[in-house]
Amino acid sequence: MPIGDWATCEEASSRPQWRGPMAARDLRAQVDSLLLQLLRDLEELEAKRAALNARVEEGWLSLSKARYAMGAKSVGPLQYASRMEPQVCVYTSEAQDGLQKFWVMRASVQTPEEVGPREAALRRRKGHTRTPEPESSPAPRDPLNWFGILVPHSLRHAQTSFREGLQLAADMASLQIRIDWGRSQLRGLQEKLKQLEPESS
Amino acid sequence: MFEGAEFYFNVDHGYLEGLVRGCKASLLTQQDYINLVQCETLEDVKIHLQTTDYGNFLANQTNPLTVSKIDTEMRKKLCREFEYFRNHSLEPLSTFFTYMTCGYMIDNVILLMNGALQKKSVKEILVKCHPLGRFTEMEAVNIAETPSDLFNAVLVETPLAPFFQDCMSENTLDELNIELLRNKLYKSYLEAFYKFCKNHGDVTAEIMCPILEFEADRRAFIITLNSFGTELSKDDRETLYPTCGKLYPEGLRLLAQAEDFEQMKRVADHYGVYKPLFEAVGDGSGGKTLEDVFYEREVQMNVLAFNRQFHYGVFYAYTKLKEQEMRNIVWIAECISQRHRTKINSYIPIL
Repeated sequence: MPIGDWATCEEASSRPQWRGPMAARDLRAQVDSLLLQLLRDLEELEAKRAALNARVEEGWLSLSKARYAMGAKSVGPLQYASRMEPQVCVYTSEAQDGLQKFWVMRASVQTPEEVGPREAALRRRKGHTRTPEPESSPAPRDPLNWFGILVPHSLRHAQTSFREGLQLAADMASLQIRIDWGRSQLRGLQEKLKQLEPESS
Repeated sequence: MFEGAEFYFNVDHGYLEGLVRGCKASLLTQQDYINLVQCETLEDVKIHLQTTDYGNFLANQTNPLTVSKIDTEMRKKLCREFEYFRNHSLEPLSTFFTYMTCGYMIDNVILLMNGALQKKSVKEILVKCHPLGRFTEMEAVNIAETPSDLFNAVLVETPLAPFFQDCMSENTLDELNIELLRNKLYKSYLEAFYKFCKNHGDVTAEIMCPILEFEADRRAFIITLNSFGTELSKDDRETLYPTCGKLYPEGLRLLAQAEDFEQMKRVADHYGVYKPLFEAVGDGSGGKTLEDVFYEREVQMNVLAFNRQFHYGVFYAYTKLKEQEMRNIVWIAECISQRHRTKINSYIPIL
């Protein structure tokens, strides 16, 4: 009997288990599928990163265009307060496989789209008990109005670009966590494979 | 008014006209812009500007150099030239200069009021106010709660007082009302300036009146364009249109009913001057915006003002051309500092 077909006492932690010659093949198949998933995630991450860079660049250029049309001092730090209420917040939740996922949502939305057991977790993370009254705070004002009511289209365009960038950023963070988890899983599986077949490294 | 400015203009204003023509000759040329566009950093821009008439205007700036600092220093330089002209002027040129500064004063008042809304300190905003629009009561603007307050307590002694006719109301100054106040003040100001030029007659009226008519129509178009999709009602919008332009009265009435860019374009097609401008507007993010097209036309008219002599329009034209030059330099500097050079050639060359 080859040694690899038996788990050692340390691995099994109680009694030796019979592991057939299929074990290595299954393990290799797992490694392959995990690697493919990892590469897919990396590709998606690169695409999202390029998109985020493009959005942010667009946004800044649109702000410059707005300054060209409105005057250089009309779009700048004078127009916004030093303390501001966020319009959009980042929430985290745990998916079924234990990984964290990031959600970007408007701060005024009291219930997130996810229903079920996660709702309790999200409520806890908000930090304070939610009062049932719907009119507890005034509707958040559009930050576009800090610059006046009649703003040029380049400023609106900038706002859209930055909003899209926000969503991309949250997706990228979730993907990053998945990729890190995938890499650690891959490493673990490769270790096991090495132990199973020490001669075939 | 006795026609024949060429007989007596030079007595009171000849020195200043000569001076402003000299200043106009020192505007940046196409070669200067080509050099600026090739700069890699803002420090390079500073070095290139030293070889022009700007000289060492950035010498006292601490590192790091920002676009905002460049803009502030350029404004200060323009203000120094303007103040020199103004201090050496006689009537009625002095009144003309006062009219020119009113536009900047309105901008400063609105900046101060918006700052009060955002709970900013007055000192912070005063630094960023336009130097051409400075007046002594500026620090008190932020205490006003309503337009009537603003008028009675603060602005009644300033040159802006006569423009408050239509703006007196007891509404508190929130963002919408501040925007309405800004546009109504500017409308009264433009109409008063137009009347002054027209009454002066002579070459000044021949040069300034078309320029101010264009300014009025341009404001009507831009207000309409920016009001699509906002909470501004059509009636409110119509009260903001200046009436001293070519569009008055039928064009303004049609414009007040427009709901999108196509309808606005159809209104402009009735007027021979505006039809080619609207046709030059590119669609989407590719080509020129309406604002770009209007700026180009303004530069054209201002350059042509220098072809006639013995009128006050040269001073107005020089200030506006200098402002366009500042916009160009700021645009190029922003493209350089953001390292986004695809649109860097979107400036408007003047000479």
